[in-house]
Amino acid sequence: MADDAGRPTGGLIGQPHVRIDGRLKVTGQARYPADEPLANPAYAYLVISAISRGRVAGMDLAATKATPGVIDVLTHENVGQEVKPPMGPDGKPTTTTLESDQIWHDGQIIAVVLAETYEAAREGAYKVVVRYAAEAPSATFDSPGVEVEPLKANETRHDPAKGDAAAAFAAAPVKIDARYDTPIQHHNPLELFSTTCVWEGPKLTIHEGTQNLYWLKGSVAGQLGLDLADVRTISRFVGGGFGSKGAPTSRTAWIAVAARRLKRPVKLVTTRDQGFTIATHRAETRHHLQLGATPDGRLTALVHEGWEVSSRPSSYNVSGTATTARMYACPNIATKVTVVHADRNTPGFMRAPPDTPYMFALECGMDELAYALGKDPIELRRINDTQTDPVSGKPYSSRSLMKCFDAAAGKFGWAKRDPKPGSMRDGDWLVGYGCATACYPCNIGPAAARLSLTPKGKATIQLAGHELGTGAYTLLAIVVADRLGLQVDDVQVMMGDSDLPPVPGAGGSNNAASTSNVAAKACEAIRQRLAMAAVRTNAGIFAGVDPATLTLVNRALVGPDGRSEPLETAASRVSPGAIEAHVENVPQGLPPDAAAALYHGRASLLRGQSREDVTAFAFGAQFVEIRVHRRTCEIRAPRAVAAFASGTIVNPLAAHSQYQGGAIWGIGSALHEQTEIDLRTARYVNHNIADYLVPVNADIGEVDVIFVPEEDHEVNPLGVKGIGEIGIVGMNAAIANAVFHATGRRIRKLPIRIEDLL
Amino acid sequence: MEMTLNVNGRDHRLSLDSRTTLLDALREHIGLTGSKKGCDQGQCGACTVHLAGRRVLSCLTLAAAVQGRAVTTVEGLAQGENLHPMQAAFIAHDAFQCGYCTPGQLMSAVACVREGHAASDEAIREYMSGNLCRCGAYPKIVAAIREAAPQMAPKMERA
Amino acid sequence: MRPFRYEHAADREAALQAGRSAAAAAGEAHVRAPVQYLAGGTTLIDLMKLDVMRPEVVVDINGLARQHGEIRSGPDGLQLGALVRMADAAEHPAVRRDYPVIAQSLELAASQQLRNMASLGGNVLQRTRCNYFRDVTWAACNKRAPGSGCAAIGGPDRGMAVLGVSEHCIANYPGDFAGALAALGATVDIEGPGGRRVIPFEELHRLPGDTPHIETNLAPGELITGFSVPAGPWTRRSLYLKIRDRQSYEFAIASAAVALDLDAGVVREARVALGGMVAKPWRSHEAEAALRGHPLTEGSAQAAAAAAFAQAVVHGEDRFKPELGRRTLVRALLQCAAMEI
Repeated sequence: MADDAGRPTGGLIGQPHVRIDGRLKVTGQARYPADEPLANPAYAYLVISAISRGRVAGMDLAATKATPGVIDVLTHENVGQEVKPPMGPDGKPTTTTLESDQIWHDGQIIAVVLAETYEAAREGAYKVVVRYAAEAPSATFDSPGVEVEPLKANETRHDPAKGDAAAAFAAAPVKIDARYDTPIQHHNPLELFSTTCVWEGPKLTIHEGTQNLYWLKGSVAGQLGLDLADVRTISRFVGGGFGSKGAPTSRTAWIAVAARRLKRPVKLVTTRDQGFTIATHRAETRHHLQLGATPDGRLTALVHEGWEVSSRPSSYNVSGTATTARMYACPNIATKVTVVHADRNTPGFMRAPPDTPYMFALECGMDELAYALGKDPIELRRINDTQTDPVSGKPYSSRSLMKCFDAAAGKFGWAKRDPKPGSMRDGDWLVGYGCATACYPCNIGPAAARLSLTPKGKATIQLAGHELGTGAYTLLAIVVADRLGLQVDDVQVMMGDSDLPPVPGAGGSNNAASTSNVAAKACEAIRQRLAMAAVRTNAGIFAGVDPATLTLVNRALVGPDGRSEPLETAASRVSPGAIEAHVENVPQGLPPDAAAALYHGRASLLRGQSREDVTAFAFGAQFVEIRVHRRTCEIRAPRAVAAFASGTIVNPLAAHSQYQGGAIWGIGSALHEQTEIDLRTARYVNHNIADYLVPVNADIGEVDVIFVPEEDHEVNPLGVKGIGEIGIVGMNAAIANAVFHATGRRIRKLPIRIEDLL
Repeated sequence: MEMTLNVNGRDHRLSLDSRTTLLDALREHIGLTGSKKGCDQGQCGACTVHLAGRRVLSCLTLAAAVQGRAVTTVEGLAQGENLHPMQAAFIAHDAFQCGYCTPGQLMSAVACVREGHAASDEAIREYMSGNLCRCGAYPKIVAAIREAAPQMAPKMERA
Repeated sequence: MRPFRYEHAADREAALQAGRSAAAAAGEAHVRAPVQYLAGGTTLIDLMKLDVMRPEVVVDINGLARQHGEIRSGPDGLQLGALVRMADAAEHPAVRRDYPVIAQSLELAASQQLRNMASLGGNVLQRTRCNYFRDVTWAACNKRAPGSGCAAIGGPDRGMAVLGVSEHCIANYPGDFAGALAALGATVDIEGPGGRRVIPFEELHRLPGDTPHIETNLAPGELITGFSVPAGPWTRRSLYLKIRDRQSYEFAIASAAVALDLDAGVVREARVALGGMVAKPWRSHEAEAALRGHPLTEGSAQAAAAAAFAQAVVHGEDRFKPELGRRTLVRALLQCAAMEI
């Protein structure tokens, strides 16, 4: 049965199900792009720049070309004109690679060595001698030579504002005025960035781990001047993305060029250190936050100004003020964002791109304000909770923030907290409790899908979706089985191939919403055909019945009175073979050309903070226990509890994993992760995963996740809000707030490390 | 160099560069791509295999140096259609997301139990810390190992 | 990785034969010597992939495990064969019982996979993690390219050394096990083209001075065959404390290997070695002297810690390290004194 909004009222959606691709993943049979068997491949190895600004004045390739097994070397001199540069993550110009001799940043691709074996390609690459015409680079904030660009509002970018924030802040009886810093961070998915290109005549097949098959396809087609139909991208499993594989990057087209020249497949598996500069990263940010409040805790002023570093040519920015301005009821709001251009590679999407750094500032500020007011941090948030977007005045589609706080606080044992900093101890360990709000806008995009159903009750759904670990295959199998009255095992899911119908990239937590809704729509198309045929058959039991009342349950077509006929009977009435449906779903509020753009890899998302009808966010509350050794100040996070309300949860098993993984990302973000940069040279120094620290198993203790039930009838027909990003969002602040509670030290710069607490 | 590698009970005669690592030999020359390259520097554990019954990193092992010793990869863990109890427990506990680190986690987990390092959650966490999981499946990996450990009866175990 | 000739040495004689050719090929046993012994490979293969090491000949000495792969514990002390694997030494019952500082230094190092691979001989010879050394695109590294300068000085130096550094190199020696050996006054058994010799462990590594590319006093072709750790009343009351950002699988930011012989709370003998910020395995005779004859208290521990870091040299972000080092040593000493043995 389904309710008026098309939401399931029973069945499989919401029931935990193990991953249907689990067996492939535990037996080593899941094929990631670099696992693809190839006939006679050549191997590529990148040469990257050792300076951050200047030009390639010359290259001595003699030793490389003399290396046994080396076939060819691509440089700007021999292939520079063959490729148009790709656009950056924001769709605008970005840094280039082999198109010219210009060096924009450290670790930029400057040559590609091609050889018979991986070993020979690597040796050849090490033998390339590069002469640079180097210029003094600018590394980051405050470096001489950076260009400062205050961002302006335009059609797609706004600086949320309301009332007179400056005056209100000046007049506020209680104030917080603080500055926060977040570091450069790299996704470091475990899968190395790889690209394999294979030509068959004019047709190019690209095997590359991507979160956006159609964007990659469209980008490479455009760069190489190919017909869109001649480019196919395949990425059946992605070994972690987190945003790093969201936007096309430069290497793909060069490998395509290499394969075309060599007339054989070319395989590139980059190194871990190259991954720090040939893809994107989370840029370092700075924040100036001013909060004004009444003595009883009501916010009167919120001023949030952010600064973000980008490359010279790109103004990529995340502008998380679009989130922070909407968190709490406040009559006076001012926001501003400035991009600082340095000699760096262009940053890009990384898990909850705007929210992770910006909510760190706001949620630490709220904790500071709670202490200034002498109030419990949860109560301060309750006082300022709202069901109305404070910027636009639109209602939230649903907002269960305080339910999340109450559920998580209870499970965590918040009541046992003595609010006095430094007051709680366990032996030699100082103990601190901290909490923060998590949130993420609900995004959904246009999507297409092909669905077939056999009379025997086997369904196949096909769409160019992406499995990065989110459980995307399983999610679709559940939705289709639920809607067609089948078992999950009856559904085959085909994804990861641009020959299949397009969906948006897996990013911004839109994946579940976009794909589950289009799948449900495809199921509905098939149900309608079955129902229409049934009611029009005079001999049938449903003759004359309203077709809208017929549902598919347990391999049968069921009427409102409970009478049913087997699926096989109903289906063979429509077709002796499989019934097929090809549907497109364009959520209301998207521009009319959204479907057409989707096929060109330019899916526009309907974003939760800029909808016409409602403001749509998922909310959560995150709690952390921190321990700091009283002498040596190691910081440990043995326990975390989070509660989230994200609308319909299709598969609670995989959702739990994603929430938990997000929280673990947060522990890494707050306590471990920082890409170090040499300020003299603008070069990354710790570009490996022994020195770029991410949490290991022993760092993680209990991570409890609570699902707060929530039905949202506004956000989209299935009520799916998305869960991939929200899990990290509150953690930075919750941990910093817990460190303050443990030690009395307010650390406003991430990551928080031993030396901050000595 | 001519060499013979014994992988999952089968001999493979190969002609390889002396520089070829065991990981690259498995992936690029034998066609066993289950073992994963996550760093190629001994920092992530995704390439973990068993060498003569002990877990090692195949990315820091020269293929030439393992001749005459049995190599077991994730492809050799199940017996036909029957999953190893550790594989089944990983599925049941959703102890992975993207799945890329999973082959290494599994090989490490099986060794962890055999070594006697799975007696407590704390020991499992410590002895599984050489296998990074960027998706953050750690609590579920611990739960899976805890469940599979007692099921790892000797008969299920390959020598 | 550059091409090399792979040789498998079936026994010691074969290895030493290869060692003799190494001696002929190299004037001194510098970091990039053209003949390299291969045991676990966890340092060598890594650095060869990074193009830091470019040996022409790699001599696989794992066949020597039959001769140098044993652990023997007796009344005189502990003998550790150079080809014993870290994991095996860490789990050896006598090592755990009688030399806990050694067992702990090993089990707190690396991961079980690496410990299964890495030999004890290779472990003490592991190279610095300094990224200016490990990344060959940095032109200035006196350790890698003698006379080229030190790019690390003036760069992010949180991971660098503050004890024993010179104006030519501030690289940190990253090992843990070496700290335990230094503290316990171990000796090193060496064989080479010139015959056998035994040297104190403290004399195995050299300070960087103006020749950071020469890291040890091993002559070209020489091979470590084992370590001897003398017995002493302090070995049972010993521990290794490792401080790091992560709970596991990370090199030390600070560490202390300590062993105490106490007589009613008064220090008869103390053994102290420091790590995480040292140019070479660092025994602190200053700290030991400050403790000897005094009751082990917070005060005497503080005094020992102050003595240990009196000569520390800091550059930038590493300014916190002496203070962390002092606190680490104080914590280790007090914890060690409280051990029930």
